[in-house]
Formats: sequence, structure tokens, C-alpha cells
Amino acid sequence: MFENILLPISSEFYPRNALRRGGFLAEIFGSRITVLYIIEEKVLDNADRVSDVFRSYYEREETKSDIRRDYLSAADEVIFENAKQFFEEKKISFHEKTDRGEFSDVIQNELNKEKYDLILTGYERGCFLHYRIIDESHVPVWVESDSGNNTILAVCSNLASNQKVPKMSVELARSLGWKLHMLYVVDTQDSVEVDEKGERSDRKSEEDLVATGEEFLKEMGKKGIEASLTKGGLEKETINAAKSIGAGLIVVGRKQKKTTVLGLPVRSTKKKLVDKCEYSILFIN
Amino acid sequence: MEKKSRIDGKRTFNRWDILFISVAFSIIALFLITPSPSGLSREGWLMVGILVMAIILWITISIPIAATGLLIMVMQPLLGVVPAEDVFHSFGNQAVFFLIGVFILASAIEKHGLHRRIALKFLSMFEKNPRMFTLGIMTSSACLSFIMPEHGVAALLLPIVASILIAMKVIPKQSNFGKVSMLGIAYGCSIGSLGTPIGGARNPLTIGILANMGIKVSFFDWMKYSMPVVLIAIPLVWLILQFSFPIEVKDISGAKREIEEQVKKMGKMGRNEITVSAILALTILLWIFFSSPEYFGLAVIALLGGALLFFTGSISWEDVEKRVPWGIILLYGGAITLGVGMKNTGAGSWIASILLDITGNNEYLVILILIILAIYITEMMSNTAAVALLIPVGLGMATQIPGISPLFASMAIALSGGLAFMLVIATPGNAITYSSGYFSTKDLLKSGVIANIICVAVIFTVAILYWRGVLGI
Repeated sequence: MFENILLPISSEFYPRNALRRGGFLAEIFGSRITVLYIIEEKVLDNADRVSDVFRSYYEREETKSDIRRDYLSAADEVIFENAKQFFEEKKISFHEKTDRGEFSDVIQNELNKEKYDLILTGYERGCFLHYRIIDESHVPVWVESDSGNNTILAVCSNLASNQKVPKMSVELARSLGWKLHMLYVVDTQDSVEVDEKGERSDRKSEEDLVATGEEFLKEMGKKGIEASLTKGGLEKETINAAKSIGAGLIVVGRKQKKTTVLGLPVRSTKKKLVDKCEYSILFIN
Repeated sequence: MEKKSRIDGKRTFNRWDILFISVAFSIIALFLITPSPSGLSREGWLMVGILVMAIILWITISIPIAATGLLIMVMQPLLGVVPAEDVFHSFGNQAVFFLIGVFILASAIEKHGLHRRIALKFLSMFEKNPRMFTLGIMTSSACLSFIMPEHGVAALLLPIVASILIAMKVIPKQSNFGKVSMLGIAYGCSIGSLGTPIGGARNPLTIGILANMGIKVSFFDWMKYSMPVVLIAIPLVWLILQFSFPIEVKDISGAKREIEEQVKKMGKMGRNEITVSAILALTILLWIFFSSPEYFGLAVIALLGGALLFFTGSISWEDVEKRVPWGIILLYGGAITLGVGMKNTGAGSWIASILLDITGNNEYLVILILIILAIYITEMMSNTAAVALLIPVGLGMATQIPGISPLFASMAIALSGGLAFMLVIATPGNAITYSSGYFSTKDLLKSGVIANIICVAVIFTVAILYWRGVLGI
């Protein structure tokens, strides 16, 4: 399922728990792990911008080069060293790479160069990383949070075609030996239905949306999957359900939720989820 | 918010920049078409417009900070607020040449690695345990900021401390020792920069504005007012860091080894280093004893030090070109002409009277508010810009409240304006050390909020008890 895992680590944030999770997944799936260390140029540009009047161009370039050198040393001496100890102990095949640029851009470039089945990363609030990759990647993105038990919460809703999530969650639960709980959220804030092509329908009544959800539950029941239905905001209901079962992993698919309110852009569902949720999330696009 | 993008070193505007620039110029247009309020002249009203424009551009950095300085100088004659001659007259203050001299001296120090040697010497004196080591980092940052601009000190200490942390296998953002060490550089530089007129451009700016009013402040005078704040703030802020991030590291031997290795790599002091040290020592002594108005003033000594460096071959013009940030002269120019313009048009007094309507005439409350305003405004924009905006207001207050002298108000603002502890964008020292990756924005905010509150109390207490009680200013 995950033969080739990309584990990007930004100079902005070192998620050690992602290394642990990588080891766990690699042992189960026999995966090969690529640890990609990314020197976050955005942070250096910010320092440059704030100090451009106080320090000459030459001095600023000198500082940038010093910082880049320190980043590389930190990657070699601390991060890759940790990864080596960790993966070699478990006899997991891994190799290391370094690159520089913007976190999501560098990952995207790497995806263009090599085939990966999973991106495994951590999440840091309030840092310079925008985690655009969560919305843009066509490869599943696993954001590790290191909490919860061995239960997968798979989230389906009226805002998705609900094809990939059930399939992948069942497969994952079986491989990991974890319990699976399927949640169907009727998003009352965006009362449309999304078809198999990802097209949004016209507005529908709540009764219609609930009826579709119940049909979905029946289908899951036939397959022997425990499922429940809830109404409300997608992010809030997902987080509440994850809390109540102590989910070790939430599986979320591509949601076609409206992207603007009164003509103004709204934050993506995924970003809101990852920002507010304390559990690991697997985003499948 | 995506702030800036750079292509091949060139700055490009994003939509936010364009929006903020449009807002800044719309403000000017708004002030042009609206009548001035009672109690304020037309020139004063337009000066307030220029001030608001500068605030927007300095906070958002939609155009470079120095370019805003240029704009301030250009807008005053263009809007008919201050004649061009008067604008450039206030720019021609000796503080500009003091700044140039200081940067030439700093160039020589940096070129020959003298600052590196001093930093390593300092750090080796604090190798007793990890806590003391972090105090050593703060102290060396502060002491180096007495003799060269604070941002250069942050840039110097960052690789030294980073290599020590790497040698100790300290994990970025997870180790409290890493956090305290890097925050120690940022805070040490900020606090140290208050100590002498060299530390930050806002110090000569304050001296320049006061000189335009006929109040002379020598190097020693400055140290007399500022050093108690520095000496009290360093240990207090260090304690705040210790409580905010209890250090988990027990063994400091890795740091010792790394420092020894770096000292060994540097070798013995070379001829140029010795020459630069001697010229620096001489310059500082001259500043301390002969910078008062009856002798030579700050700028002559700074330029003499710079000239000696050329005569001894310690520095070339190429080094100066490489290391002197000429943009700061434009920022200084914009800031000082803004201050003088605000004062001469009555805009500063007008804003001061609005503030006094809110605070009342309680001098203690007014002083406290000036300190708090300076500390919190400097979090949002360049220290120099924040001081430039506030000093005219402080001077306006000083003329309206008998208990506060112009020198007192200016010093309170200048020192408070250097203490930007909370945000990454607040000062280059914070941004440079943040880029090391050892602390997060939350860490900076967590310790910065408390450190700022404590420093408000320190400056207020020193101002009341020492400046007024002992020095009588």
C-alpha cells in the first residue's frame, strides 16, 4: 500500500513523531523511506526583509550562507543521525536528501521526480510553513500527531464522492490491524451533494442529505463496517467524533466545500482540521 | 499572509503590497482634502497625514523601510509642509556621520573577526553549567552590542551558538537549552543595544533630535542614563527565560570542546586584529571622555576612528562598500525630518494633547504610557521608526507637563523602543535568531510578553528613581 514513503522535514520544524510513524508503517508495508530535509528559504527571506535597511546586502548574504551551513550541519549531525539510528535498528531501507526552497514547492518537485505513495509529515502551528501540500498533493498526506488509540475514523460526507475513503480505510485498517469506524457527516453549513466527478449539486434539503447519508450507512453495514451519521459543520463534527472514540487516525478525502463566503475566500477544510485537531490525519486527494 | 517574494534578489510586489501602498497614499489624499481640526495648523495636519502614511508603510514593509524614509523627506516639501531647505537641514546633523563612523568601525571588527574572538572569550568564561552558559550567551550579546550594531552581533553569534548546539546534538525547537540559547542572543542584543549610542540607530537618532533642540548628549551621558537599565534587565530577562523554558541539558562538556576547537581554529591575534582593537579602544575612550559638546562631539571621534583604520591599512574602501548599510542613512534621514517636522508644525504637540486628554496630567501615568507605547509600537515596526514616531509626541507632552523634561521623555522612549521581544518581525535580531530554527514564534511570544512587562517596570523605576531622583533630569 505504501511502498515508497516521503518524509519531508523542514528546517522550520522537526517532527520526530513522524520518524517513529514512518518506522511503524515501513515495518508493516515493507516501505522504503526517503527523508527529505528542506532548508526553508522563506524564513531566510523574512530575516532578510526585516534587516535589509540595517545590514548591507553582502552581510545579509553572508548570514544566509552561515545559516544554510548550520541547517545542513543540524540535518547531518542530528536529524539524519536520528533517522539512521532509528531505521537501521529496524532494518528499514531509507535514504536521505536535502533541498532548499519553500516546503510545499520542494515536496511537489520531489513528487515530480520520483514516485511516492505517501507523504508523512508533522504539523506545527504558527510557523512559516503554509502546508499547501495538504491541499495540492495527489499523493496521500499523513500528518502525524502521536495521539489516540488503534482506531481509524474514516470521514465521509455530502461534500465528497466518498469512493476513495471507504476503500482505503478498510485496506488500511486490515493492514494495521486497527479498528475502523466510518462517520458520515451531513454538513448543514453547505447543503449540497457532490457526485462521482466531484461536481457540486444545487442546494438540497436537510432531509434529502440525511436520506443519502442513511443509504451510505446501510451500504457500510452490509460490508460489516461500523458507521454513524451526524449533522453539523464538517470540521467540528469530525473533531468531536475523533475525540469521543480517541481516534489514532482520521482519514479524510477530497471535500468540495465552498471556497468563498460572500465573495471572500475561506480557509480550506483540511487546513482547519489539521489546525484544530490533535489526532493524526490522513488526507486522500 | 504571503509577504514578499524575491526573484534573483529583486523585490517584487504582491497584491497585499499594492493594497497597502494604495491605502498609504489614499490617506495622504484624505488629509489633503479635509480641513485641519481646530488647534492645529494646515501644515501640522498634513504632517499627521505623512505620519500615518509612514506608519502604514513601516508596519507593512510594502516598500523597503529606507524607501519610506525617502518618501517622508520628499512628501514634506511636495505638500508644502516644510521647505526643502529645512528638510535637508535637519538631516545634516552630526548623528548621521556618527552612524557612518560606527559602521566603518564595525566593518573592520567584522572583517578581522575581532567580534568572534571577543564572543568566544566571553562564552568560555561561562562554561560552569548549562544555565550559566546561557547567561554567558546573553552577556556576550549585550556586551558586543555596546561596541557594534546589535544586528551584526546577532548575525555573528548565531553560527557560533548554532555550532555549539549541533555539537551537543541539541534538537531544534524541542530542546529548552536550544530555545534559551537562541532567545538569549536575541534578547541580549536588544538589551545591550541600549547601553551605548552605538548599539542601535535609534540612539543617534534620539541624540540628533535632542541636538536640534539644543540639548547635547555625550557618549558618557548616554551610558549614564542607560546602563542601569541594561544591568538590571539582563539578569531579569535571563531569569524569565529560565522559568519559561527550564533547561533539560545537564552536561556542558560538548559546548566546552566546541568553543576550545573554535578558539584553536582562530589562532593567535594577528597584526590587523591588534590594530583594530587598539583603534576601537582609543575611539571608545575618546567617546567616553571627549564627546561632550565642549570637546569634539560624537561624529568627529567616530570618523577619526574610521580614518585611522584606513591609515593603518586595517580596512579598504571595498570593505566599507561591502559592509556599510547605506539604507540606514535614508531611514535616519526620514526619521529625523519626520521628528523635526512634527515638532515644528505643532503636530507632535497636537497628538500629545489628545493623549493627555485621555491620560490626564498625571506625570507618572504619562511616563508609563510613553514607555508602554514605545515598547509595543516597536514590536510592529523598526525600532528606529518607532522611536522617530514617538519622540515628537513625547516632546509635545514634555512641553505640556512641567514634571517631564524633553531629555527625560526622549530617553524613556529611546530605551523602551529598543526592547522588541515578542515578534519575529519586530527587530532583525529576532528574525535572524528565529531563522536558526531553535525556537518557535510561540516561544518568542511566551517569553517576550513577560520580558516586556518586566522591562516596562525596570525602565519606569530607573526613570523615576535614578534619572529624576539621582541625576535630576
